[in-house]
Amino acid sequence: MRKILRYTRREYMAAVKTKGFIIGLILAPIMMSGGMIAFLLLKDRVDTTDKRIAVIDHTGRVAQALVAAAEYRNINELHNKSSGKKIKPAYLIEQIQADSLHISKQLLELSDRVRQNDLYAFAVIGPHVIHPGQNEKNVSVAFYARSAAMDDMRDWIMWPVNDRLRKLRLADAGIEESAVADLFYWVNVEGLNLISVDKNTGTISDARKASPVDALVVPIAIMMILFLMIMMSVPGMLTSVMEEKTQHIAEVLLGSITPFEFMLSKLLAGVAVSLTSSGVYIIGGVMAVTYMGFEEYIPFHVLPWFWCICHSLSLCLDLFRQPWDRPVVKLKTRSR
Amino acid sequence: MSAIELRNVTKSFGSHVAVTDLSLSVPEGCVYGFIGPNGSGKTTTLRMIMNILYPDSGEIRIFGESIRSSRCDRIGYMPEERGLYQRMKVRDVLIFFGGLKNDHNIKSRVDQWLERMDLTKWAYQKVETLSKGMSQKVQFIATVVSQPKLIILDEPFTGLDPVNNEVLKDAVLELQDQGTTVIFSTHDMNMAERMCDFIFMIFKGQKVLDGTLISIQDRYANDTIHVQTEQGVHVLNHIEGIDKINDYGNVQELRITSAADPQVILKTIMERTRVYSFNLVKPSLHDIFIRIAGVEARGNNHA
Repeated sequence: MRKILRYTRREYMAAVKTKGFIIGLILAPIMMSGGMIAFLLLKDRVDTTDKRIAVIDHTGRVAQALVAAAEYRNINELHNKSSGKKIKPAYLIEQIQADSLHISKQLLELSDRVRQNDLYAFAVIGPHVIHPGQNEKNVSVAFYARSAAMDDMRDWIMWPVNDRLRKLRLADAGIEESAVADLFYWVNVEGLNLISVDKNTGTISDARKASPVDALVVPIAIMMILFLMIMMSVPGMLTSVMEEKTQHIAEVLLGSITPFEFMLSKLLAGVAVSLTSSGVYIIGGVMAVTYMGFEEYIPFHVLPWFWCICHSLSLCLDLFRQPWDRPVVKLKTRSR
Repeated sequence: MSAIELRNVTKSFGSHVAVTDLSLSVPEGCVYGFIGPNGSGKTTTLRMIMNILYPDSGEIRIFGESIRSSRCDRIGYMPEERGLYQRMKVRDVLIFFGGLKNDHNIKSRVDQWLERMDLTKWAYQKVETLSKGMSQKVQFIATVVSQPKLIILDEPFTGLDPVNNEVLKDAVLELQDQGTTVIFSTHDMNMAERMCDFIFMIFKGQKVLDGTLISIQDRYANDTIHVQTEQGVHVLNHIEGIDKINDYGNVQELRITSAADPQVILKTIMERTRVYSFNLVKPSLHDIFIRIAGVEARGNNHA
């Protein structure tokens, strides 16, 4: 046992008393959350170049609503109200008469205009959008652009088009819109936590609103810490074993300790390094979250289990990466 | 009691047999020299003694105990290639290795050995800053600082300058005086002749020599003549009874056949030239090594 503890201590100190470990401890979470940091830094950097879109309206009754909606948007939503800085691009709608005889050629010409940057995109409102009826499969508003899948403009177009379609359908049905104002009222389903008894006052307290922090942030943070702990301990151990093999230190060590003691010490040291890094992250995280006033989101009851599971996983991964007999087998097969 | 006893030990690596049916006995308290050409099985044998490699068959006993059950704390091992943590400080690495076997007063023993090896001012430097010779001395200290009863040194003098050679040699002999058994392998035949009580030679995995230097030399009897003549090596050719001539310029070394009479050879040479000196000598360990493992031995084997 004395030898195991001695060698474990050496391995642990060799791992943590390095600049690399300390810098890694700080840099690892920064790099892991790099995407989030980049998002926070860049979220206000929007391309405000005006976007011209051509619209072909086969119904002849919908495109005007798009024009009006775009004008409203361009007047009221483009600039930051306090700073006056332009924060969104203007949408400029160009209505084009449909060429029913040569529709494909017309679409090709518009596509070429997009390629030449004369247009940002173009949309085609199908003839049956107002009353789909039996033609459900052919009902669509087609949006053509360079990257149409993730386009803000495509999302924006849906609201004025569908709003106009509802009004047209009511009008065609002879129904006054004001008489059916509740028809378009959308009811949200609000998520709430369970009701419980307040420990301080003894009364039944109101349910707390369910928060994305509970559902997403905490599990993601715990998962990231788990990943960090494994990544910080296992590569270091691999490097250590490789160093001892290539520099023949293992040969000297095996003259003093058994292979079992050798590998057990390495595993214990790896777990100790994991404990150290996880302790820093969890304690630091708890302190930071408490300081920000979000201590209610910390799952204290989960932390001990998390700790046990993490270190078991780390131990298993260490076992997987460093087979018990590998250094000895390699030595055994070298001949002189 | 023997410090080490090997009985019919064999070790193979795949189809290559490194050690074949090897038996030897190392008396306690002696200096035992392992010699042999490269690839002969020296280091394999030492590693089997250290239980780093397991023999395929045979038995190894350390101080009378089976190697599996004997305490490795009594054995100090210095491998041929240095094995030190490069980024650790010298003193720390010695305390670590020494403490694994025997941590009683380890720090003071380390300090004593550092002073003995003139490495005190390097005690707090990293191992990677040391020269090869200094690393060798540190490795030696790591081997002996735990006061083992048996020390195994695999080519300890390699890379050392003559001064450090002497320092190490003196340290080894002093340990022997204190009752420690020392086994070391070496290619330096002079060192082996001077230091070893017993010589063991392994060639192609088999024992070819085992005994004291005198007993080994007696085996080859007086078959070597050192002669110095006026006309040099040219007059020595084609003399019956001379098996081989080694020309060293001023002196020629003649190896004679077992049936040859040195007096007859002397008479023949004197008929050809003036003889300044004519000495019947025992072969050196270097000469014996060459005879066994040299080109001519391989040539004879192929024949």
